[in-house]
Amino acid sequence: MSPGIATGGQYRLRAVPPGRQPMLHRIFRADPMTVREALVFLHDRFDGSAGDEVIARLELAVAEVLNNISQHGAQHGALPLDGRPHAPLVHLCVARHTGGIACAVTDDGRPLPSTCLEPAALPYAAPGPDSPKPPDISALPQAGYGWFLIRELTASLSYFREGRRNFLAFIVPVNDPLPPADADDRSQSAG
Amino acid sequence: MQLALIPEPDRLTIQVDEKRLDAAIATAFRDKVRSLIGNGGAAVTLDLSGVDFMDSSGLGAVIAIFKSMPAGRKLELTGLTPNVARVFQLTRMDTVLTIRPGGCAAAAGAPQGGGE
Repeated sequence: MSPGIATGGQYRLRAVPPGRQPMLHRIFRADPMTVREALVFLHDRFDGSAGDEVIARLELAVAEVLNNISQHGAQHGALPLDGRPHAPLVHLCVARHTGGIACAVTDDGRPLPSTCLEPAALPYAAPGPDSPKPPDISALPQAGYGWFLIRELTASLSYFREGRRNFLAFIVPVNDPLPPADADDRSQSAG
Repeated sequence: MQLALIPEPDRLTIQVDEKRLDAAIATAFRDKVRSLIGNGGAAVTLDLSGVDFMDSSGLGAVIAIFKSMPAGRKLELTGLTPNVARVFQLTRMDTVLTIRPGGCAAAAGAPQGGGE
Protein backbone atom coordinates (compact mmCIF):
# COMPACT_ATOMS: atom_id res chain seq x y z
CA MET A 1 0.00 0.00 0.00
CA SER A 2 1.53 3.30 -0.99
CA PRO A 3 -1.07 6.05 -0.77
CA GLY A 4 1.56 8.74 -1.13
CA ILE A 5 2.27 8.01 -4.78
CA ALA A 6 -1.30 7.33 -5.87
CA THR A 7 -2.29 9.69 -8.63
CA GLY A 8 -4.68 7.74 -10.90
CA GLY A 9 -8.39 8.41 -10.48
CA GLN A 10 -9.24 5.00 -9.06
CA TYR A 11 -6.23 4.95 -6.79
CA ARG A 12 -6.92 8.40 -5.47
CA LEU A 13 -10.37 7.29 -4.38
CA ARG A 14 -8.99 4.25 -2.63
CA ALA A 15 -5.93 5.84 -1.09
CA VAL A 16 -5.78 6.49 2.62
CA PRO A 17 -4.06 9.74 3.64
CA PRO A 18 -0.74 9.24 5.45
CA GLY A 19 -1.14 8.67 9.15
CA ARG A 20 -4.83 7.82 8.95
CA GLN A 21 -6.46 4.47 9.40
CA PRO A 22 -8.65 3.31 6.55
CA MET A 23 -12.41 3.78 6.69
CA LEU A 24 -15.11 3.02 4.19
CA HIS A 25 -18.71 4.08 3.68
CA ARG A 26 -20.58 2.82 0.65
CA ILE A 27 -24.26 2.75 -0.32
CA PHE A 28 -25.41 0.24 -2.91
CA ARG A 29 -28.11 -2.20 -3.98
CA ALA A 30 -27.44 -5.76 -2.81
CA ASP A 31 -27.28 -7.50 -6.17
CA PRO A 32 -24.48 -10.01 -6.74
CA MET A 33 -22.32 -8.00 -9.15
CA THR A 34 -22.55 -4.82 -7.07
CA VAL A 35 -21.70 -6.82 -3.95
CA ARG A 36 -18.66 -8.20 -5.76
CA GLU A 37 -17.49 -4.69 -6.68
CA ALA A 38 -17.97 -3.48 -3.10
CA LEU A 39 -15.91 -6.39 -1.75
CA VAL A 40 -13.04 -5.72 -4.16
CA PHE A 41 -13.14 -2.05 -3.13
CA LEU A 42 -13.17 -3.05 0.56
CA HIS A 43 -10.18 -5.33 0.07
CA ASP A 44 -8.19 -2.64 -1.73
CA ARG A 45 -9.06 0.01 0.85
CA PHE A 46 -7.99 -2.10 3.85
CA ASP A 47 -5.08 -3.93 2.23
CA GLY A 48 -2.00 -3.35 4.35
CA SER A 49 -3.88 -2.05 7.41
CA ALA A 50 -3.62 -5.50 9.02
CA GLY A 51 -2.16 -8.89 8.07
CA ASP A 52 -3.27 -10.46 4.79
CA GLU A 53 -5.15 -13.19 6.64
CA VAL A 54 -7.16 -10.64 8.64
CA ILE A 55 -8.11 -8.74 5.49
CA ALA A 56 -9.14 -12.02 3.85
CA ARG A 57 -11.32 -12.87 6.87
CA LEU A 58 -12.85 -9.38 6.75
CA GLU A 59 -13.69 -9.78 3.06
CA LEU A 60 -15.24 -13.21 3.62
CA ALA A 61 -17.32 -12.11 6.64
CA VAL A 62 -18.68 -9.04 4.82
CA ALA A 63 -19.29 -11.17 1.72
CA GLU A 64 -21.46 -13.59 3.68
CA VAL A 65 -23.47 -10.79 5.29
CA LEU A 66 -24.05 -9.06 1.94
CA ASN A 67 -24.92 -12.34 0.19
CA ASN A 68 -27.57 -12.99 2.82
CA ILE A 69 -29.12 -9.59 2.19
CA SER A 70 -28.94 -10.14 -1.56
CA GLN A 71 -30.48 -13.62 -1.42
CA HIS A 72 -33.04 -13.29 1.37
CA GLY A 73 -33.58 -9.60 1.98
CA ALA A 74 -35.80 -8.59 -0.93
CA GLN A 75 -39.26 -7.57 0.26
CA HIS A 76 -42.06 -9.80 -0.96
CA GLY A 77 -44.03 -7.98 -3.60
CA ALA A 78 -41.40 -5.28 -4.01
CA LEU A 79 -41.80 -3.54 -7.33
CA PRO A 80 -39.15 -4.45 -9.88
CA LEU A 81 -36.65 -1.71 -10.61
CA ASP A 82 -35.86 -1.47 -14.32
CA GLY A 83 -37.29 -4.94 -14.73
CA ARG A 84 -34.98 -6.40 -12.10
CA PRO A 85 -35.94 -7.44 -8.57
CA HIS A 86 -35.74 -4.56 -6.14
CA ALA A 87 -32.64 -5.50 -4.14
CA PRO A 88 -32.36 -4.00 -0.63
CA LEU A 89 -30.37 -0.78 -0.28
CA VAL A 90 -27.28 -1.39 1.83
CA HIS A 91 -25.16 1.04 3.82
CA LEU A 92 -21.76 -0.47 4.59
CA CYS A 93 -19.42 1.20 7.11
CA VAL A 94 -16.03 -0.26 7.96
CA ALA A 95 -13.29 1.27 10.14
CA ARG A 96 -9.96 0.03 11.43
CA HIS A 97 -9.71 0.29 15.22
CA THR A 98 -7.30 -0.96 17.84
CA GLY A 99 -8.00 -4.65 18.26
CA GLY A 100 -10.20 -5.08 15.26
CA ILE A 101 -11.89 -3.91 12.12
CA ALA A 102 -15.38 -2.68 12.98
CA CYS A 103 -18.18 -3.24 10.48
CA ALA A 104 -21.74 -1.93 10.40
CA VAL A 105 -24.16 -3.08 7.73
CA THR A 106 -27.68 -1.73 7.43
CA ASP A 107 -30.33 -2.57 4.84
CA ASP A 108 -34.01 -1.95 4.13
CA GLY A 109 -34.79 -5.60 3.42
CA ARG A 110 -36.92 -8.06 5.33
CA PRO A 111 -36.16 -8.54 9.04
CA LEU A 112 -33.41 -10.99 9.89
CA PRO A 113 -34.91 -14.20 11.33
CA SER A 114 -33.85 -14.51 14.96
CA THR A 115 -32.56 -18.03 14.35
CA CYS A 116 -29.70 -16.52 12.32
CA LEU A 117 -28.42 -14.88 15.49
CA GLU A 118 -28.44 -17.95 17.66
CA PRO A 119 -25.08 -19.66 18.06
CA ALA A 120 -24.46 -21.18 14.65
CA ALA A 121 -23.66 -24.80 14.00
CA LEU A 122 -22.55 -26.44 10.80
CA PRO A 123 -25.56 -27.60 8.76
CA TYR A 124 -24.25 -31.18 8.74
CA ALA A 125 -22.60 -33.58 11.20
CA ALA A 126 -18.89 -32.97 10.63
CA PRO A 127 -16.48 -35.74 11.62
CA GLY A 128 -15.37 -35.29 15.20
CA PRO A 129 -14.95 -37.15 18.48
CA ASP A 130 -18.66 -38.01 18.51
CA SER A 131 -18.93 -39.14 14.90
CA PRO A 132 -15.53 -40.09 13.48
CA LYS A 133 -17.07 -41.39 10.27
CA PRO A 134 -17.29 -38.79 7.49
CA PRO A 135 -20.86 -38.10 6.42
CA ASP A 136 -22.21 -39.42 3.16
CA ILE A 137 -21.49 -36.83 0.48
CA SER A 138 -24.90 -37.39 -1.10
CA ALA A 139 -26.52 -36.17 2.13
CA LEU A 140 -24.50 -32.95 2.45
CA PRO A 141 -26.50 -29.72 2.40
CA GLN A 142 -25.48 -27.26 -0.32
CA ALA A 143 -26.38 -24.16 1.66
CA GLY A 144 -26.55 -23.01 5.27
CA TYR A 145 -22.83 -22.36 5.74
CA GLY A 146 -23.01 -18.56 5.60
CA TRP A 147 -24.03 -17.77 9.18
CA PHE A 148 -21.66 -20.42 10.49
CA LEU A 149 -18.79 -18.64 8.70
CA ILE A 150 -19.93 -15.22 9.95
CA ARG A 151 -19.86 -16.58 13.52
CA GLU A 152 -16.42 -18.11 13.03
CA LEU A 153 -14.89 -14.99 11.49
CA THR A 154 -16.35 -12.26 13.71
CA ALA A 155 -16.76 -11.16 17.32
CA SER A 156 -19.25 -8.92 19.16
CA LEU A 157 -21.97 -9.63 16.61
CA SER A 158 -25.07 -7.57 17.36
CA TYR A 159 -28.32 -6.88 15.55
CA PHE A 160 -31.37 -4.71 15.90
CA ARG A 161 -34.16 -3.56 13.66
CA GLU A 162 -35.34 0.01 13.68
CA GLY A 163 -38.16 1.17 11.49
CA ARG A 164 -37.71 -0.44 8.13
CA ARG A 165 -33.99 -1.13 8.45
CA ASN A 166 -31.84 -3.97 9.72
CA PHE A 167 -28.70 -2.97 11.64
CA LEU A 168 -25.92 -5.54 11.98
CA ALA A 169 -22.57 -4.75 13.60
CA PHE A 170 -19.51 -6.89 14.29
CA ILE A 171 -15.75 -6.86 14.63
CA VAL A 172 -13.15 -8.84 12.74
CA PRO A 173 -10.45 -9.25 15.40
CA VAL A 174 -6.89 -8.08 14.71
CA ASN A 175 -3.92 -9.09 16.82
CA ASP A 176 -1.25 -6.85 15.34
CA PRO A 177 -1.06 -3.27 16.60
CA LEU A 178 -2.31 -0.35 14.57
CA PRO A 179 0.19 0.87 12.00
CA PRO A 180 1.88 4.01 13.40
CA ALA A 181 -0.15 7.18 12.91
CA ASP A 182 2.84 9.48 12.92
CA ALA A 183 2.38 11.36 9.69
CA ASP A 184 -0.59 13.57 10.49
CA ASP A 185 1.32 16.75 9.78
CA ARG A 186 2.06 15.57 6.26
CA SER A 187 -1.51 14.74 5.41
CA GLN A 188 -2.22 18.34 4.41
CA SER A 189 -0.56 17.77 1.06
CA ALA A 190 -2.32 14.48 0.37
CA GLY A 191 -5.12 15.99 -1.67
CA MET B 1 -17.50 -18.55 -17.08
CA GLN B 2 -13.82 -19.24 -17.72
CA LEU B 3 -12.99 -22.95 -17.53
CA ALA B 4 -10.13 -24.77 -19.25
CA LEU B 5 -10.44 -28.47 -20.05
CA ILE B 6 -7.38 -30.70 -19.96
CA PRO B 7 -8.41 -34.17 -21.17
CA GLU B 8 -6.09 -37.08 -20.43
CA PRO B 9 -6.62 -40.76 -21.25
CA ASP B 10 -7.99 -41.68 -17.82
CA ARG B 11 -8.77 -38.31 -16.35
CA LEU B 12 -10.44 -35.00 -17.06
CA THR B 13 -8.97 -31.91 -15.40
CA ILE B 14 -11.13 -28.81 -15.24
CA GLN B 15 -9.12 -25.70 -14.50
CA VAL B 16 -11.16 -22.85 -13.07
CA ASP B 17 -9.91 -19.56 -14.50
CA GLU B 18 -12.13 -17.31 -12.40
CA LYS B 19 -10.53 -15.21 -9.65
CA ARG B 20 -13.73 -15.13 -7.61
CA LEU B 21 -15.99 -18.12 -7.05
CA ASP B 22 -18.80 -16.12 -5.47
CA ALA B 23 -22.56 -15.60 -5.45
CA ALA B 24 -22.38 -13.78 -8.79
CA ILE B 25 -21.28 -16.90 -10.68
CA ALA B 26 -21.85 -19.90 -8.37
CA THR B 27 -24.94 -21.24 -10.15
CA ALA B 28 -23.48 -20.82 -13.65
CA PHE B 29 -20.24 -22.43 -12.45
CA ARG B 30 -22.08 -25.43 -10.97
CA ASP B 31 -24.19 -26.01 -14.09
CA LYS B 32 -21.26 -25.63 -16.49
CA VAL B 33 -19.00 -28.03 -14.59
CA ARG B 34 -21.82 -30.56 -14.24
CA SER B 35 -22.42 -30.54 -17.98
CA LEU B 36 -18.69 -30.95 -18.69
CA ILE B 37 -18.48 -33.89 -16.30
CA GLY B 38 -21.49 -35.46 -18.00
CA ASN B 39 -19.43 -35.86 -21.17
CA GLY B 40 -17.48 -38.74 -19.68
CA GLY B 41 -14.03 -39.58 -18.37
CA ALA B 42 -13.31 -41.85 -15.43
CA ALA B 43 -11.86 -39.46 -12.89
CA VAL B 44 -12.27 -35.70 -12.66
CA THR B 45 -9.95 -33.13 -11.09
CA LEU B 46 -11.21 -29.64 -10.36
CA ASP B 47 -8.17 -27.36 -10.28
CA LEU B 48 -8.90 -24.26 -8.16
CA SER B 49 -5.39 -22.77 -8.25
CA GLY B 50 -6.65 -19.72 -10.16
CA VAL B 51 -9.32 -18.90 -7.55
CA ASP B 52 -8.32 -16.14 -5.08
CA PHE B 53 -11.65 -15.80 -3.29
CA MET B 54 -14.48 -18.22 -2.55
CA ASP B 55 -17.57 -17.65 -0.40
CA SER B 56 -20.25 -20.06 0.85
CA SER B 57 -22.05 -19.85 -2.50
CA GLY B 58 -18.90 -21.15 -4.20
CA LEU B 59 -18.59 -23.82 -1.53
CA GLY B 60 -22.22 -24.82 -2.12
CA ALA B 61 -21.55 -25.12 -5.85
CA VAL B 62 -18.53 -27.37 -5.23
CA ILE B 63 -20.60 -29.55 -2.89
CA ALA B 64 -23.36 -29.75 -5.50
CA ILE B 65 -20.82 -30.89 -8.11
CA PHE B 66 -19.57 -33.64 -5.75
CA LYS B 67 -23.15 -34.75 -5.13
CA SER B 68 -23.94 -34.98 -8.82
CA MET B 69 -20.99 -37.24 -9.69
CA PRO B 70 -22.29 -40.37 -11.43
CA ALA B 71 -21.81 -43.61 -9.52
CA GLY B 72 -18.38 -45.13 -9.99
CA ARG B 73 -16.65 -41.88 -10.95
CA LYS B 74 -14.32 -39.95 -8.70
CA LEU B 75 -13.93 -36.21 -8.23
CA GLU B 76 -11.06 -34.50 -6.46
CA LEU B 77 -10.06 -30.90 -5.80
CA THR B 78 -6.56 -29.55 -6.18
CA GLY B 79 -4.65 -26.27 -6.12
CA LEU B 80 -6.40 -24.68 -3.15
CA THR B 81 -5.11 -21.15 -2.51
CA PRO B 82 -5.04 -20.01 1.15
CA ASN B 83 -8.38 -18.15 0.95
CA VAL B 84 -10.12 -21.13 -0.62
CA ALA B 85 -8.50 -23.61 1.79
CA ARG B 86 -9.75 -21.49 4.72
CA VAL B 87 -13.40 -21.93 3.70
CA PHE B 88 -12.99 -25.71 3.43
CA GLN B 89 -11.22 -25.82 6.81
CA LEU B 90 -13.68 -23.60 8.69
CA THR B 91 -16.60 -25.71 7.44
CA ARG B 92 -14.65 -28.99 8.05
CA MET B 93 -15.26 -29.87 4.41
CA ASP B 94 -11.54 -30.65 4.14
CA THR B 95 -12.35 -33.81 6.15
CA VAL B 96 -15.25 -34.81 3.91
CA LEU B 97 -14.31 -33.98 0.31
CA THR B 98 -11.29 -35.36 -1.56
CA ILE B 99 -8.61 -32.67 -1.70
CA ARG B 100 -5.24 -33.41 -3.26
CA PRO B 101 -2.30 -31.21 -2.31
CA GLY B 102 -0.64 -29.58 -5.28
CA GLY B 103 -1.35 -26.89 -7.77
CA CYS B 104 0.52 -23.66 -7.37
CA ALA B 105 -0.29 -22.84 -3.77
CA ALA B 106 -1.34 -26.06 -2.00
CA ALA B 107 -2.71 -25.40 1.47
CA ALA B 108 0.63 -24.49 3.00
CA GLY B 109 -0.21 -20.88 3.78
CA ALA B 110 -3.61 -21.69 5.23
CA PRO B 111 -4.19 -21.07 8.91
CA GLN B 112 -4.79 -23.70 11.55
CA GLY B 113 -8.46 -23.63 12.39
CA GLY B 114 -8.99 -20.16 13.74
CA GLY B 115 -12.16 -18.59 15.05
CA GLU B 116 -13.49 -19.36 18.48
